Amino acid sequence: MTTVAADTTALPPAPHNPWRDVLTGSVASITFTFIAVVAVGWFWVGPKFLSFGNISIMGTFLIVPLIVGAFSGPALLSGVVDLSIGSMVGFSSALFALLISLGWDPASAAAVTLVACLCFGGINAIAIVGFGAEPIAATLGMLVALRGIAWVLLGSQGAIFAFNIDMFNLVSMTIFGLPLFFLLAILLTAIAAVIVTKTRMGRHVQAVGGDDRAAARAGISVKKVRVAALLLSAFGAGLGGIVFAGQLGSAARATGVGLEFQVYAALMIGGYSILRGGVGNPVGGALGLLAVAGVSNILDLKAISPYYVNIIVGLLLLAAVLLDRLRGGDAYE
Amino acid sequence: MRNLLRVLAVTALSVPALIGLAGVAQAQDKFKLGMAVGGNTCCEWMKAQGDVARALAEKNGWDYVELSNNNDPATALKNAQIFVQEGVDAVIQFNGQAASNPAISAVMKQANIPIVTYDIADPGMYFVGIDNLAAGIAGGEGLGKIIKEKWACNPDLVVSAEGAGAGIVNEWRTGGMRTGLKNICPDIPDAKYVSFESQGDAAVGLPAARDLLAAHPEAKNIAVVGLNDGGVLALINAAEQLGRADGVIGWGQDGAFITGDNVNPHLAGSVFYFLEGYAVYAIKDVIGPIAAGNVPPLKADAGDPASKVQPCPVTAEQAKAVPDMNERVKQLLAAPAGTAEYDLFCPNKG
Repeated sequence: MTTVAADTTALPPAPHNPWRDVLTGSVASITFTFIAVVAVGWFWVGPKFLSFGNISIMGTFLIVPLIVGAFSGPALLSGVVDLSIGSMVGFSSALFALLISLGWDPASAAAVTLVACLCFGGINAIAIVGFGAEPIAATLGMLVALRGIAWVLLGSQGAIFAFNIDMFNLVSMTIFGLPLFFLLAILLTAIAAVIVTKTRMGRHVQAVGGDDRAAARAGISVKKVRVAALLLSAFGAGLGGIVFAGQLGSAARATGVGLEFQVYAALMIGGYSILRGGVGNPVGGALGLLAVAGVSNILDLKAISPYYVNIIVGLLLLAAVLLDRLRGGDAYE
Repeated sequence: MRNLLRVLAVTALSVPALIGLAGVAQAQDKFKLGMAVGGNTCCEWMKAQGDVARALAEKNGWDYVELSNNNDPATALKNAQIFVQEGVDAVIQFNGQAASNPAISAVMKQANIPIVTYDIADPGMYFVGIDNLAAGIAGGEGLGKIIKEKWACNPDLVVSAEGAGAGIVNEWRTGGMRTGLKNICPDIPDAKYVSFESQGDAAVGLPAARDLLAAHPEAKNIAVVGLNDGGVLALINAAEQLGRADGVIGWGQDGAFITGDNVNPHLAGSVFYFLEGYAVYAIKDVIGPIAAGNVPPLKADAGDPASKVQPCPVTAEQAKAVPDMNERVKQLLAAPAGTAEYDLFCPNKG
């Protein structure tokens, strides 16, 4: 057996250097990536890339991923990954569209939809926290089940048309040239960042994800934190589905398919870890989504096949992991 | 948190500075056509639809912008917004995820940009497409003639490869094929008609097709109809895997898999739509007049389309005389303006 002695020759901590903090902080990689994407867009596409109109297009496309990302981040931070978020978005949009098509008013339909999503989030929580099921396995089961329920709700046509011009105009409303809901999603991300980094609740979530046994010894209720995180994740996905239905005027089988990969890839590029809790920041996740959307937009505006987006997202992901390692991995946490 | 705020501050300062330098794109004098291709990796013709539209736009001296809907409703809506931003004068789209069509219609209407949609109708869009019901009936009658000759109209099973996601189009095509089959073989009992969900894709529909065959172990002579060639092939491939393909005869729709060197021997025929060449119809009847300043009246109904594509039913034998898609595109682009692939290649012109 090998015993590792404390390294008494280790250097004392380096003096505080704000620039080094920027280079090594939890959102450093994604900040540089984001700036690089903006720079590439600016030089390659031209001024149009940063015009309000173009940012507005990207923003509209990002509303749902930003909402879902902001709400699913705490689950990742607390050490439980929720793979069912994409299907939850699909289910939520299907149920909401169905209720609207049956003549319900949007507020009641949204309330019922969110309660239903919370119920499914509760089932995730019971399986994972109550019975100790592996989060990936449990939420994978929920992913499949919710996709099936959505298909049943959508019926043989595979789609429910519930276009409502008032809802569409509400979701498309702009302020200062940018979509209102995009700005709200950014605000939501900022609030989530403050909660995660500045409040006791946020520190509890990070502590549970970092080391649940140590957190329990410190008096934190690991179960409560994880249940709350899973419910939040389901709520966010439910909200995303409702916004989707409002945006598209419909729900379809394709709604939300692959969204979990889109969101989690961006969150990982933004500094989160899927398998390791306690790491990540909502701002990094949002910058990850913005960077990926920026890449996609550049390819659109340069008329390059969108199939390249996946290659670039994969490379960004690899680069983020590599940068994380180069910076010392967990050392900065 | 401090470094986080610092990063945000740097970003917040730099982005508006760059935005401030942003100019407005120069006004375009030339007519500009936008094309949103379907973007489903299942089918080569989706990309070819864009290639043909691009070539015809260039022939007409127009600017051309192409985007892919990536088979995703949110992307299709985003593309509509990009077309508006790019200042296109008209748009053609194939949107396999038609649930986003109402929102796309609203965006285009707001920007006063006319839009043509292929094969899946929307009240706000010019409809260019096949007469799906006629295509279905023609295909069913083609299969019926073979069933009558080979099995005296007495198959063990008639399988429908449905694609419910296509909605009414599936009902017209697949239901139309059953109607056509009944026109030739009216005495096949209803109990012999069974369906599975193929989703219009040979690979995706394979498990459901295998399950259906497993549920009917006694069936030997099986006739297959469906939404498209891919869906019909799902059942044929499943039968091949189970060693039961000898008694399977299928007839597809769209003609995607009936030409080339590797046509499945159990696919007895199909109905060519020549999907890759739809831009000829769209440009001749809608986009061309718009470019010339004569906006045609909106015809959005599949029953009364802005331009109707002729279906071309063929047996596998007849299809051998039809070149593959790449060659067809080459010949189409070399043909005089307005010539459709139906005129060039259909061996059974009505």
